[in-house]
Amino acid sequence: MSLIEIEKHEVEEERHEPVRIRGFPFFPHFLLREVVVMCLIAGSLILMASLYPAGLLKPADPFDTPTPIYPEWYFLYVFGFLKFWTWDIGPIEAKVIGVTLPMVLWYGLLFMVPFIDRNPSSDIRKRKFAVAMGVIALLGILYFTYYSIVYH
Amino acid sequence: MKLEDKIFKWFDDRFKLKELLTPIIKHPAPEYAVTNPLYCLGGIAFLCFLILVGTGVFLAMYYKPTPLEAYKSVEHIMTAVPMGSLIRSLHHWAANTMIAAVMLHMMRIYFMGAYKKPRELNWVVGVTLLLITTTFGFSGYLLPWDQLAFWATKIGTGIAGSIPILGQYISLILVGGTDIGAETMTRFFAIHVMILPITIAILLLMHFAMVRIQGISGRL
Repeated sequence: MSLIEIEKHEVEEERHEPVRIRGFPFFPHFLLREVVVMCLIAGSLILMASLYPAGLLKPADPFDTPTPIYPEWYFLYVFGFLKFWTWDIGPIEAKVIGVTLPMVLWYGLLFMVPFIDRNPSSDIRKRKFAVAMGVIALLGILYFTYYSIVYH
Repeated sequence: MKLEDKIFKWFDDRFKLKELLTPIIKHPAPEYAVTNPLYCLGGIAFLCFLILVGTGVFLAMYYKPTPLEAYKSVEHIMTAVPMGSLIRSLHHWAANTMIAAVMLHMMRIYFMGAYKKPRELNWVVGVTLLLITTTFGFSGYLLPWDQLAFWATKIGTGIAGSIPILGQYISLILVGGTDIGAETMTRFFAIHVMILPITIAILLLMHFAMVRIQGISGRL
């Protein structure tokens, strides 16, 4: 494969001399890998679609509540947290907190990540706090997903 | 001169293709981004998006967004339309895979710290894309109008409705009344096939343009 070398000028202040980065040209090397991965994924999707077709239950009936009902898997954690949080805080109802925390506050925090984490290092060993917060958030989401299924 | 060279030359003479394409073709991708499979996740999400556009257009040709017709039209797609079952199932699987890929892509960016200066705004666009992708899933869930669709939407709009201050308006805009019915269907259909696709296309362009301008973060 034809390796090419380019000089990359880092914008960060800590590095003044250009850093040499080894790289492959976008075409054909990078694109080839993308195409191989895309073929694998597209093939798997077609396989899964043929083996496990999308379901269709009985027509919607507003007067017949089925049990159990679950939202989509990627909203289960919101649903789980809503069930988990049963405490009112002052005048704020538990239900409102149970929705606001995992949706509004969670997405608010996600949006703010680059502005909260001012640590310039991207070495994983030098950003223990950010990694710990990430792991806690991840475990929290997994726990509340689990909670929504088990304590339905 | 071979035929394909002639064709290329014809266009090159008129549109200066070489000038245009060379920087794209020769643009170097860092070695670690080519060899590390974690860097595929964003591309996988994009592939799923392309599959969703393709299969979605075909589904829209047969789907009828009214409470009376919706279920029957989906049943028709699944049983009578040639390849209909495969197309709808592919849409279903690509949708779920896309959401998973977007989430994993975000986790890679987070744990590698790739959102740091100068890429803060691309992270913000990325989180917006995650929001839009899940809204896509949520709005698409109602369309088959089966028991799961109806009751999951009931929970979902109920949850959105309990957000303080904004919740009641979000719920009213989504449901279009007090109960989930014909108004809700046409709204969800319009959101799913018009509003969200245009929004996501614009945001994806911004997302890719920013990656192109700023380069992939290289400091692991």
